[in-house]
Amino acid sequence: MLCENCYQNEATFHYTEVINGVMTEHHLCSSCASKMGLSGFGDSLGGNFPFVKLLTGLFAASNRAGEEADNPMLHVKCPKCGMNYQEFIRVGKFGCAECYDVFGPLIEDNMKKLQGSIEHKGKRHLDKSESADNENKNETASKSVSGKAAEKKSKSKTDILDEIAVLNAKLKEAIELEEYEDAARYRDEIKALKEGGRDA
Amino acid sequence: MLRWFEENGRESDVVISSRVRLARNIRDYNFSLKLTDDDARKMVNDLTAEIGKLEAVKDYSSYDFARLDDYQKMAMKECHVISDFLLGQKVAAGFVSKEEDVSIMLNEEDHIRIQAYASGMNMEKAFELADKTDDAIEQAVSYAYDEKYGYLTTCPSNVGTGMRASYMLHLPALSSNNRISGLAAEVGRFGLVMRGVYGDSSRSYGDIYQLSNQITLGISEKEIIDNLSHIANQIISQERALRRQYVINRKLSALDAVYRSYGVLRYARKMSLKDAMLLLSQVRLGLAQGLVMTDSETEFCVYQLMIGIQTANLALMNENELSEEELEEYRAKFIRDNLPVIR
Repeated sequence: MLCENCYQNEATFHYTEVINGVMTEHHLCSSCASKMGLSGFGDSLGGNFPFVKLLTGLFAASNRAGEEADNPMLHVKCPKCGMNYQEFIRVGKFGCAECYDVFGPLIEDNMKKLQGSIEHKGKRHLDKSESADNENKNETASKSVSGKAAEKKSKSKTDILDEIAVLNAKLKEAIELEEYEDAARYRDEIKALKEGGRDA
Repeated sequence: MLRWFEENGRESDVVISSRVRLARNIRDYNFSLKLTDDDARKMVNDLTAEIGKLEAVKDYSSYDFARLDDYQKMAMKECHVISDFLLGQKVAAGFVSKEEDVSIMLNEEDHIRIQAYASGMNMEKAFELADKTDDAIEQAVSYAYDEKYGYLTTCPSNVGTGMRASYMLHLPALSSNNRISGLAAEVGRFGLVMRGVYGDSSRSYGDIYQLSNQITLGISEKEIIDNLSHIANQIISQERALRRQYVINRKLSALDAVYRSYGVLRYARKMSLKDAMLLLSQVRLGLAQGLVMTDSETEFCVYQLMIGIQTANLALMNENELSEEELEEYRAKFIRDNLPVIR
Protein backbone atom coordinates (compact mmCIF):
# COMPACT_ATOMS: atom_id res chain seq x y z
CA MET A 1 0.00 0.00 0.00
CA LEU A 2 1.32 3.44 -0.89
CA CYS A 3 1.46 6.37 1.49
CA GLU A 4 -1.73 8.41 1.23
CA ASN A 5 0.19 11.65 1.53
CA CYS A 6 3.12 11.40 -0.89
CA TYR A 7 2.02 8.40 -3.02
CA GLN A 8 5.69 7.44 -3.31
CA ASN A 9 6.77 5.27 -0.42
CA GLU A 10 5.27 2.16 1.04
CA ALA A 11 2.91 3.01 3.91
CA THR A 12 4.32 1.59 7.12
CA PHE A 13 2.46 3.77 9.56
CA HIS A 14 -1.19 2.94 10.05
CA TYR A 15 -3.48 4.61 12.46
CA THR A 16 -7.15 4.75 13.14
CA GLU A 17 -8.77 7.80 14.55
CA VAL A 18 -12.12 7.54 16.21
CA ILE A 19 -13.91 10.80 16.77
CA ASN A 20 -17.36 10.57 18.25
CA GLY A 21 -17.78 7.10 16.86
CA VAL A 22 -16.68 7.97 13.33
CA MET A 23 -13.69 5.83 12.42
CA THR A 24 -11.16 6.88 9.80
CA GLU A 25 -8.08 4.92 8.81
CA HIS A 26 -4.88 6.53 7.66
CA HIS A 27 -1.87 4.96 5.96
CA LEU A 28 1.37 6.91 5.77
CA CYS A 29 5.03 6.26 5.08
CA SER A 30 7.36 6.83 8.00
CA SER A 31 8.80 10.08 6.67
CA CYS A 32 5.38 11.64 6.09
CA ALA A 33 4.23 10.39 9.48
CA SER A 34 7.15 12.00 11.24
CA LYS A 35 6.70 15.18 9.22
CA MET A 36 3.16 15.34 10.50
CA GLY A 37 4.40 14.66 13.97
CA LEU A 38 2.61 11.33 14.10
CA SER A 39 5.55 9.06 14.77
CA GLY A 40 4.42 8.60 18.32
CA PHE A 41 7.64 8.94 20.27
CA GLY A 42 10.60 11.18 20.47
CA ASP A 43 9.05 14.05 18.64
CA SER A 44 10.28 16.80 20.88
CA LEU A 45 7.25 18.97 20.31
CA GLY A 46 4.96 16.02 19.99
CA GLY A 47 3.31 16.26 23.37
CA ASN A 48 0.31 17.60 21.57
CA PHE A 49 -0.29 14.79 19.13
CA PRO A 50 -2.93 14.11 18.08
CA PHE A 51 -4.59 16.97 19.73
CA VAL A 52 -3.73 19.98 17.68
CA LYS A 53 -3.47 17.91 14.51
CA LEU A 54 -7.01 16.75 15.01
CA LEU A 55 -8.22 20.15 16.03
CA THR A 56 -6.84 21.83 12.95
CA GLY A 57 -7.52 18.86 10.73
CA LEU A 58 -11.07 18.83 11.87
CA PHE A 59 -11.93 22.36 11.13
CA ALA A 60 -10.04 22.30 7.92
CA ALA A 61 -12.14 19.36 6.82
CA SER A 62 -15.43 20.77 7.96
CA ASN A 63 -14.71 24.01 6.18
CA ARG A 64 -13.04 22.76 3.06
CA ALA A 65 -16.14 23.40 0.99
CA GLY A 66 -16.34 26.93 2.27
CA GLU A 67 -12.80 27.79 1.41
CA GLU A 68 -13.32 27.55 -2.30
CA ALA A 69 -16.59 29.43 -2.36
CA ASP A 70 -16.83 32.95 -1.03
CA ASN A 71 -17.30 31.89 2.52
CA PRO A 72 -18.04 34.97 4.61
CA MET A 73 -16.05 33.36 7.42
CA LEU A 74 -12.94 34.24 5.47
CA HIS A 75 -13.49 37.86 6.48
CA VAL A 76 -13.56 37.12 10.17
CA LYS A 77 -10.57 38.70 11.82
CA CYS A 78 -9.55 39.28 15.42
CA PRO A 79 -9.65 43.04 16.05
CA LYS A 80 -6.84 42.89 18.60
CA CYS A 81 -4.09 40.78 17.08
CA GLY A 82 -5.23 40.58 13.45
CA MET A 83 -5.47 36.79 13.35
CA ASN A 84 -7.80 35.81 10.49
CA TYR A 85 -9.93 32.76 10.01
CA GLN A 86 -7.70 31.03 7.47
CA GLU A 87 -4.59 31.49 9.55
CA PHE A 88 -6.40 30.30 12.63
CA ILE A 89 -7.46 27.10 10.87
CA ARG A 90 -3.95 26.52 9.57
CA VAL A 91 -2.09 26.96 12.86
CA GLY A 92 -4.87 25.92 15.24
CA LYS A 93 -3.65 28.37 17.85
CA PHE A 94 -4.92 31.61 19.33
CA GLY A 95 -3.17 34.94 18.77
CA CYS A 96 -4.42 36.75 21.87
CA ALA A 97 -7.02 36.56 24.62
CA GLU A 98 -9.62 38.17 22.37
CA CYS A 99 -9.25 35.42 19.78
CA TYR A 100 -11.14 33.22 22.21
CA ASP A 101 -14.17 35.47 21.79
CA VAL A 102 -13.75 35.65 18.02
CA PHE A 103 -12.89 32.05 17.17
CA GLY A 104 -13.87 30.23 20.35
CA PRO A 105 -17.52 29.69 19.40
CA LEU A 106 -16.48 28.30 16.01
CA ILE A 107 -14.45 25.49 17.47
CA GLU A 108 -16.60 24.76 20.47
CA ASP A 109 -17.76 21.42 19.09
CA ASN A 110 -14.24 20.31 18.27
CA MET A 111 -12.97 21.52 21.60
CA LYS A 112 -15.62 19.47 23.27
CA LYS A 113 -14.65 16.38 21.31
CA LEU A 114 -10.99 16.79 22.11
CA GLN A 115 -11.00 18.16 25.62
CA GLY A 116 -14.20 16.37 26.60
CA SER A 117 -15.64 19.64 27.89
CA ILE A 118 -15.76 23.35 27.22
CA GLU A 119 -16.30 24.59 30.75
CA HIS A 120 -13.32 25.30 32.94
CA LYS A 121 -13.26 23.59 36.28
CA GLY A 122 -10.41 24.03 38.70
CA LYS A 123 -8.34 26.93 39.94
CA ARG A 124 -9.83 30.37 39.36
CA HIS A 125 -7.84 33.48 38.72
CA LEU A 126 -8.56 36.31 41.10
CA ASP A 127 -7.60 39.48 39.45
CA LYS A 128 -6.18 42.18 41.70
CA SER A 129 -8.48 44.79 40.18
CA GLU A 130 -11.48 42.48 40.51
CA SER A 131 -10.91 41.64 44.13
CA ALA A 132 -10.47 45.30 44.96
CA ASP A 133 -13.71 45.85 43.11
CA ASN A 134 -15.51 43.26 45.23
CA GLU A 135 -14.39 45.02 48.35
CA ASN A 136 -15.81 48.25 47.02
CA LYS A 137 -19.03 46.48 46.22
CA ASN A 138 -19.38 45.21 49.76
CA GLU A 139 -18.76 48.66 51.04
CA THR A 140 -21.52 50.04 48.85
CA ALA A 141 -23.86 47.32 50.03
CA SER A 142 -23.16 47.96 53.66
CA LYS A 143 -23.91 51.61 53.23
CA SER A 144 -27.15 50.47 51.56
CA VAL A 145 -26.96 53.05 48.84
CA SER A 146 -30.01 52.88 46.61
CA GLY A 147 -30.58 54.28 43.14
CA LYS A 148 -30.37 52.81 39.72
CA ALA A 149 -26.66 53.23 39.21
CA ALA A 150 -25.83 51.34 42.37
CA GLU A 151 -28.31 48.64 41.46
CA LYS A 152 -26.76 48.19 38.10
CA LYS A 153 -23.35 48.08 39.60
CA SER A 154 -24.27 45.45 42.11
CA LYS A 155 -25.65 43.15 39.45
CA SER A 156 -24.12 39.95 40.69
CA LYS A 157 -21.38 38.21 38.81
CA THR A 158 -23.50 35.10 38.28
CA ASP A 159 -26.17 37.16 36.52
CA ILE A 160 -23.59 38.50 34.13
CA LEU A 161 -22.23 35.02 33.55
CA ASP A 162 -25.71 33.70 32.81
CA GLU A 163 -26.27 36.51 30.37
CA ILE A 164 -22.97 35.74 28.69
CA ALA A 165 -23.91 32.08 28.42
CA VAL A 166 -27.20 32.98 26.73
CA LEU A 167 -25.45 35.32 24.33
CA ASN A 168 -22.85 32.67 23.57
CA ALA A 169 -25.59 30.24 22.61
CA LYS A 170 -27.19 32.87 20.40
CA LEU A 171 -23.84 33.62 18.85
CA LYS A 172 -23.30 30.01 18.00
CA GLU A 173 -26.72 29.70 16.48
CA ALA A 174 -26.20 32.82 14.40
CA ILE A 175 -22.93 31.44 13.08
CA GLU A 176 -24.54 28.17 12.16
CA LEU A 177 -27.30 30.01 10.32
CA GLU A 178 -24.60 32.13 8.67
CA GLU A 179 -26.14 35.32 10.03
CA TYR A 180 -22.83 36.99 10.55
CA GLU A 181 -24.11 40.48 11.27
CA ASP A 182 -26.08 39.17 14.21
CA ALA A 183 -23.11 37.10 15.26
CA ALA A 184 -20.89 40.15 15.30
CA ARG A 185 -23.43 42.01 17.41
CA TYR A 186 -23.65 39.19 19.94
CA ARG A 187 -19.89 38.99 20.03
CA ASP A 188 -19.64 42.70 20.85
CA GLU A 189 -22.31 42.42 23.51
CA ILE A 190 -20.48 39.55 25.14
CA LYS A 191 -17.30 41.54 25.03
CA ALA A 192 -18.98 44.56 26.58
CA LEU A 193 -20.43 42.44 29.36
CA LYS A 194 -17.09 40.86 30.08
CA GLU A 195 -15.32 44.18 30.17
CA GLY A 196 -18.14 45.72 32.19
CA GLY A 197 -17.73 42.96 34.73
CA ARG A 198 -14.07 43.77 34.90
CA ASP A 199 -14.22 47.56 35.19
CA ALA A 200 -17.47 48.00 37.12
CA MET B 1 20.42 20.33 49.65
CA LEU B 2 20.34 17.86 46.79
CA ARG B 3 18.67 18.78 43.55
CA TRP B 4 15.70 16.71 42.37
CA PHE B 5 17.78 14.69 39.91
CA GLU B 6 20.46 13.93 42.48
CA GLU B 7 18.25 12.05 44.89
CA ASN B 8 15.86 9.14 44.71
CA GLY B 9 12.29 9.78 45.81
CA ARG B 10 9.28 7.54 46.33
CA GLU B 11 8.90 4.58 43.94
CA SER B 12 12.28 5.54 42.55
CA ASP B 13 12.87 2.08 41.10
CA VAL B 14 10.55 3.19 38.28
CA VAL B 15 9.67 6.86 38.79
CA ILE B 16 12.50 9.34 38.26
CA SER B 17 10.53 12.52 38.78
CA SER B 18 7.18 14.27 38.97
CA ARG B 19 6.64 17.54 37.18
CA VAL B 20 3.86 20.12 36.97
CA ARG B 21 3.79 22.85 34.39
CA LEU B 22 1.32 25.75 34.36
CA ALA B 23 0.73 27.91 31.29
CA ARG B 24 -0.29 31.53 31.88
CA ASN B 25 -0.65 34.62 29.70
CA ILE B 26 -0.84 38.31 30.48
CA ARG B 27 -4.02 40.03 29.44
CA ASP B 28 -2.41 43.12 27.93
CA TYR B 29 -0.12 41.46 25.40
CA ASN B 30 -0.76 39.40 22.27
CA PHE B 31 0.11 35.72 22.62
CA SER B 32 3.49 34.50 21.37
CA LEU B 33 2.22 33.77 17.87
CA LYS B 34 1.28 37.43 17.33
CA LEU B 35 3.83 39.06 19.58
CA THR B 36 6.47 41.16 17.85
CA ASP B 37 10.07 40.97 19.06
CA ASP B 38 9.82 44.51 20.40
CA ASP B 39 6.67 43.72 22.37
CA ALA B 40 8.21 40.47 23.57
CA ARG B 41 11.20 42.41 24.88
CA LYS B 42 8.92 44.88 26.60
CA MET B 43 6.80 42.12 28.12
CA VAL B 44 9.84 40.19 29.31
CA ASN B 45 11.27 43.33 30.91
CA ASP B 46 7.94 44.17 32.58
CA LEU B 47 7.51 40.67 33.92
CA THR B 48 11.11 40.36 35.06
CA ALA B 49 10.69 43.57 37.05
CA GLU B 50 7.28 42.65 38.52
CA ILE B 51 8.10 39.05 39.38
CA GLY B 52 11.57 39.98 40.61
CA LYS B 53 9.95 42.08 43.35
CA LEU B 54 8.03 39.13 44.78
CA GLU B 55 8.98 37.68 48.13
CA ALA B 56 8.41 34.18 46.75
CA VAL B 57 11.27 34.44 44.26
CA LYS B 58 13.66 36.28 46.57
CA ASP B 59 16.26 33.49 46.52
CA TYR B 60 15.81 32.63 42.86
CA SER B 61 18.47 33.35 40.31
CA SER B 62 17.39 35.12 37.16
CA TYR B 63 18.63 34.83 33.60
CA ASP B 64 18.09 36.60 30.31
CA PHE B 65 18.86 35.05 26.94
CA ALA B 66 20.52 38.31 25.93
CA ARG B 67 23.33 37.43 28.31
CA LEU B 68 23.66 33.69 27.64
CA ASP B 69 25.50 31.80 24.91
CA ASP B 70 24.04 28.84 23.06
CA TYR B 71 25.82 26.25 25.18
CA GLN B 72 24.62 27.75 28.42
CA LYS B 73 21.05 27.73 27.13
CA MET B 74 21.32 24.16 25.89
CA ALA B 75 22.80 23.00 29.18
CA MET B 76 19.84 24.55 30.98
CA LYS B 77 17.57 22.59 28.71
CA GLU B 78 19.48 19.38 29.38
CA CYS B 79 19.03 19.97 33.12
CA HIS B 80 15.27 20.43 32.46
CA VAL B 81 15.42 24.02 33.72
CA ILE B 82 14.05 25.41 30.45
CA SER B 83 11.98 23.85 27.69
CA ASP B 84 12.72 23.04 24.05
CA PHE B 85 10.38 25.80 23.02
CA LEU B 86 12.10 28.43 25.14
CA LEU B 87 15.46 27.34 23.73
CA GLY B 88 14.19 28.32 20.27
CA GLN B 89 13.08 31.81 21.36
CA LYS B 90 15.10 34.91 20.52
CA VAL B 91 13.80 36.91 23.45
CA ALA B 92 13.36 35.06 26.73
CA ALA B 93 14.18 35.29 30.40
CA GLY B 94 13.25 33.62 33.63
CA PHE B 95 13.80 32.70 37.25
CA VAL B 96 15.14 29.48 38.74
CA SER B 97 14.97 28.38 42.37
CA LYS B 98 18.16 27.53 44.21
CA GLU B 99 17.52 23.77 44.07
CA GLU B 100 16.48 24.10 40.42
CA ASP B 101 13.11 22.54 41.21
CA VAL B 102 11.04 25.61 40.29
CA SER B 103 11.52 27.46 37.04
CA ILE B 104 9.56 30.43 35.73
CA MET B 105 10.01 30.83 31.98
CA LEU B 106 9.07 34.10 30.30
CA ASN B 107 8.05 34.29 26.63
CA GLU B 108 7.61 30.58 26.10
CA GLU B 109 4.69 29.48 23.90
CA ASP B 110 2.69 31.23 26.60
CA HIS B 111 3.94 34.38 28.31
CA ILE B 112 4.62 32.59 31.57
CA ARG B 113 5.34 28.94 32.11
CA ILE B 114 5.76 27.83 35.70
CA GLN B 115 7.41 24.48 36.13
CA ALA B 116 8.10 22.48 39.28
CA TYR B 117 9.89 19.17 39.75
CA ALA B 118 10.00 16.70 42.62
CA SER B 119 12.09 13.53 42.75
CA GLY B 120 10.34 10.20 42.47
CA MET B 121 6.57 9.88 42.66
CA ASN B 122 5.47 13.04 44.41
CA MET B 123 3.10 14.98 42.20
CA GLU B 124 1.52 16.60 45.25
CA LYS B 125 4.78 18.33 46.07
CA ALA B 126 5.41 19.36 42.47
CA PHE B 127 1.88 20.77 42.26
CA GLU B 128 2.18 22.62 45.54
CA LEU B 129 5.41 24.26 44.43
CA ALA B 130 3.95 25.33 41.08
CA ASP B 131 0.65 26.44 42.59
CA LYS B 132 2.33 28.60 45.24
CA THR B 133 4.46 30.26 42.61
CA ASP B 134 1.35 30.86 40.52
CA ASP B 135 -0.43 32.42 43.52
CA ALA B 136 2.48 34.76 44.05
CA ILE B 137 2.70 35.84 40.41
CA GLU B 138 -1.06 36.32 40.27
CA GLN B 139 -0.65 39.08 42.86
CA ALA B 140 1.67 40.97 40.56
CA VAL B 141 0.11 40.64 37.11
CA SER B 142 -3.29 40.30 35.42
CA TYR B 143 -3.64 36.95 33.69
CA ALA B 144 -5.68 36.34 30.56
CA TYR B 145 -8.53 34.44 32.19
CA ASP B 146 -12.07 33.72 31.13
CA GLU B 147 -14.87 32.47 33.38
CA LYS B 148 -15.85 29.90 30.81
CA TYR B 149 -12.54 28.77 29.31
CA GLY B 150 -10.35 29.29 32.36
CA TYR B 151 -6.73 30.27 31.79
CA LEU B 152 -6.39 31.29 28.15
CA THR B 153 -3.44 29.80 26.30
CA THR B 154 -1.95 30.02 22.83
CA CYS B 155 -2.76 26.41 22.09
CA PRO B 156 -6.28 25.09 22.66
CA SER B 157 -4.69 21.91 24.01
CA ASN B 158 -3.61 23.80 27.16
CA VAL B 159 -6.65 25.97 27.85
CA GLY B 160 -8.54 25.61 31.14
CA THR B 161 -6.20 24.72 33.94
CA GLY B 162 -3.18 25.33 31.69
CA MET B 163 -1.68 22.45 33.57
CA ARG B 164 0.42 19.60 32.30
CA ALA B 165 1.48 17.07 34.92
CA SER B 166 3.98 14.39 34.00
CA TYR B 167 5.90 11.53 35.46
CA MET B 168 9.31 10.60 34.10
CA LEU B 169 9.46 6.82 34.14
CA HIS B 170 12.31 4.35 33.71
CA LEU B 171 10.80 1.38 31.85
CA PRO B 172 13.59 -0.98 30.76
CA ALA B 173 11.55 -4.17 31.19
CA LEU B 174 8.50 -2.89 29.33
CA SER B 175 10.67 -1.54 26.51
CA SER B 176 12.73 -4.68 26.06
CA ASN B 177 9.48 -6.63 25.86
CA ASN B 178 8.22 -4.24 23.14
CA ARG B 179 5.31 -3.16 25.24
CA ILE B 180 5.75 0.59 24.90
CA SER B 181 3.79 1.27 21.73
CA GLY B 182 0.89 -0.80 23.01
CA LEU B 183 0.96 1.10 26.27
CA ALA B 184 1.15 4.45 24.49
CA ALA B 185 -2.00 3.60 22.55
CA GLU B 186 -3.69 2.39 25.71
CA VAL B 187 -2.99 5.48 27.81
CA GLY B 188 -4.39 7.61 24.97
CA ARG B 189 -7.81 6.29 25.80
CA PHE B 190 -7.53 7.84 29.24
CA GLY B 191 -6.61 11.26 27.90
CA LEU B 192 -2.91 10.74 28.59
CA VAL B 193 0.12 10.70 26.35
CA MET B 194 3.39 8.80 26.66
CA ARG B 195 6.55 9.62 24.76
CA GLY B 196 10.28 8.94 24.85
CA VAL B 197 12.40 11.59 26.54
CA TYR B 198 15.68 10.93 24.71
CA GLY B 199 16.41 9.90 21.14
CA ASP B 200 13.99 9.72 18.29
CA SER B 201 13.22 6.09 17.55
CA SER B 202 10.49 3.88 18.92
CA ARG B 203 12.72 3.04 21.86
CA SER B 204 13.90 5.96 23.95
CA TYR B 205 17.61 6.03 24.85
CA GLY B 206 17.93 4.93 28.43
CA ASP B 207 14.35 3.61 28.38
CA ILE B 208 13.09 6.86 29.86
CA TYR B 209 9.53 7.88 29.07
CA GLN B 210 7.28 10.70 30.03
CA LEU B 211 3.63 10.15 30.89
CA SER B 212 1.46 13.29 30.90
CA ASN B 213 -2.14 14.43 30.80
CA GLN B 214 -3.55 15.62 27.51
CA ILE B 215 -6.84 17.04 28.74
CA THR B 216 -6.74 20.43 30.47
CA LEU B 217 -10.29 21.75 30.22
CA GLY B 218 -13.30 20.75 32.30
CA ILE B 219 -11.16 18.87 34.75
CA SER B 220 -9.70 20.16 38.00
CA GLU B 221 -6.02 20.11 38.87
CA LYS B 222 -6.65 17.42 41.45
CA GLU B 223 -8.54 15.25 38.98
CA ILE B 224 -5.69 15.59 36.50
CA ILE B 225 -3.22 14.38 39.12
CA ASP B 226 -5.45 11.56 40.37
CA ASN B 227 -6.14 10.29 36.88
CA LEU B 228 -2.48 10.46 35.87
CA SER B 229 -1.24 8.84 39.07
CA HIS B 230 -3.78 6.07 38.75
CA ILE B 231 -2.50 5.10 35.29
CA ALA B 232 1.12 5.64 36.32
CA ASN B 233 0.61 3.17 39.17
CA GLN B 234 -0.66 0.56 36.75
CA ILE B 235 2.35 1.05 34.48
CA ILE B 236 4.64 0.84 37.50
CA SER B 237 3.15 -2.47 38.58
CA GLN B 238 3.42 -3.88 35.04
CA GLU B 239 7.06 -2.82 34.85
CA ARG B 240 7.76 -4.35 38.25
CA ALA B 241 6.07 -7.63 37.37
CA LEU B 242 8.19 -7.97 34.23
CA ARG B 243 11.36 -7.05 36.13
CA ARG B 244 10.63 -9.69 38.78
CA GLN B 245 10.05 -12.36 36.14
CA TYR B 246 13.30 -11.40 34.44
CA VAL B 247 15.33 -11.38 37.66
CA ILE B 248 13.86 -14.66 38.90
CA ASN B 249 13.75 -16.65 35.67
CA ARG B 250 16.92 -15.35 34.10
CA LYS B 251 19.00 -14.26 37.04
CA LEU B 252 22.35 -15.06 35.45
CA SER B 253 21.53 -13.17 32.27
CA ALA B 254 20.27 -10.25 34.34
CA LEU B 255 23.43 -10.12 36.46
CA ASP B 256 25.60 -10.54 33.38
CA ALA B 257 23.90 -7.62 31.63
CA VAL B 258 24.39 -5.32 34.62
CA TYR B 259 28.06 -6.25 35.18
CA ARG B 260 28.90 -6.06 31.48
CA SER B 261 27.35 -2.61 31.31
CA TYR B 262 29.20 -1.55 34.42
CA GLY B 263 32.46 -2.92 33.00
CA VAL B 264 32.13 -0.90 29.81
CA LEU B 265 31.12 2.26 31.68
CA ARG B 266 34.02 1.81 34.10
CA TYR B 267 36.75 1.27 31.50
CA ALA B 268 35.68 2.65 28.13
CA ARG B 269 37.72 5.54 26.73
CA LYS B 270 35.11 6.73 24.23
CA MET B 271 31.37 6.73 24.61
CA SER B 272 28.50 7.78 22.37
CA LEU B 273 25.42 9.24 24.02
CA LYS B 274 23.24 6.39 22.86
CA ASP B 275 25.56 3.70 24.23
CA ALA B 276 26.02 5.52 27.50
CA MET B 277 22.28 5.89 28.03
CA LEU B 278 21.71 2.22 27.22
CA LEU B 279 24.40 1.03 29.63
CA LEU B 280 23.38 3.41 32.41
CA SER B 281 19.83 2.16 32.04
CA GLN B 282 21.09 -1.38 32.76
CA VAL B 283 23.02 -0.21 35.82
CA ARG B 284 20.00 1.72 37.07
CA LEU B 285 17.89 -1.41 36.71
CA GLY B 286 20.52 -3.51 38.51
CA LEU B 287 20.68 -1.09 41.46
CA ALA B 288 16.89 -0.74 41.66
CA GLN B 289 16.37 -4.52 41.72
CA GLY B 290 19.13 -5.09 44.26
CA LEU B 291 21.16 -7.17 41.80
CA VAL B 292 24.20 -5.01 42.56
CA MET B 293 25.07 -2.47 45.22
CA THR B 294 27.26 0.55 45.77
CA ASP B 295 29.48 0.89 48.84
CA SER B 296 27.73 4.01 50.00
CA GLU B 297 24.91 4.04 52.55
CA THR B 298 22.78 6.35 50.47
CA GLU B 299 21.28 5.20 47.23
CA PHE B 300 23.06 6.45 44.15
CA CYS B 301 20.89 8.33 41.68
CA VAL B 302 21.88 7.23 38.17
CA TYR B 303 19.77 9.87 36.48
CA GLN B 304 22.21 12.65 37.44
CA LEU B 305 24.80 10.91 35.23
CA MET B 306 22.30 10.75 32.40
CA ILE B 307 21.95 14.52 32.59
CA GLY B 308 25.67 15.13 33.03
CA ILE B 309 26.66 13.26 29.86
CA GLN B 310 24.43 15.31 27.57
CA THR B 311 26.33 17.28 24.96
CA ALA B 312 26.07 20.88 26.19
CA ASN B 313 26.70 19.96 29.82
CA LEU B 314 29.95 18.26 28.80
CA ALA B 315 30.95 21.20 26.66
CA LEU B 316 30.25 23.64 29.51
CA MET B 317 32.20 21.59 32.02
CA ASN B 318 35.20 21.66 29.72
CA GLU B 319 34.70 25.29 28.86
CA ASN B 320 35.09 24.95 25.14
CA GLU B 321 33.51 23.64 22.01
CA LEU B 322 34.22 19.93 21.58
CA SER B 323 34.66 17.90 18.41
CA GLU B 324 32.62 14.71 18.13
CA GLU B 325 35.60 12.62 19.22
CA GLU B 326 36.53 14.86 22.15
CA LEU B 327 32.91 14.78 23.21
CA GLU B 328 32.95 10.98 23.35
CA GLU B 329 36.25 11.05 25.19
CA TYR B 330 35.01 13.52 27.82
CA ARG B 331 31.76 11.62 28.18
CA ALA B 332 33.63 8.40 28.97
CA LYS B 333 35.85 10.27 31.42
CA PHE B 334 32.90 11.94 33.13
CA ILE B 335 31.30 8.56 33.68
CA ARG B 336 34.52 6.99 35.02
CA ASP B 337 34.91 9.91 37.44
CA ASN B 338 31.34 9.91 38.71
CA LEU B 339 30.11 6.34 38.60
CA PRO B 340 30.43 4.79 42.06
CA VAL B 341 32.05 1.39 42.57
CA ILE B 342 29.50 -1.37 42.21
CA ARG B 343 29.64 -4.89 43.61
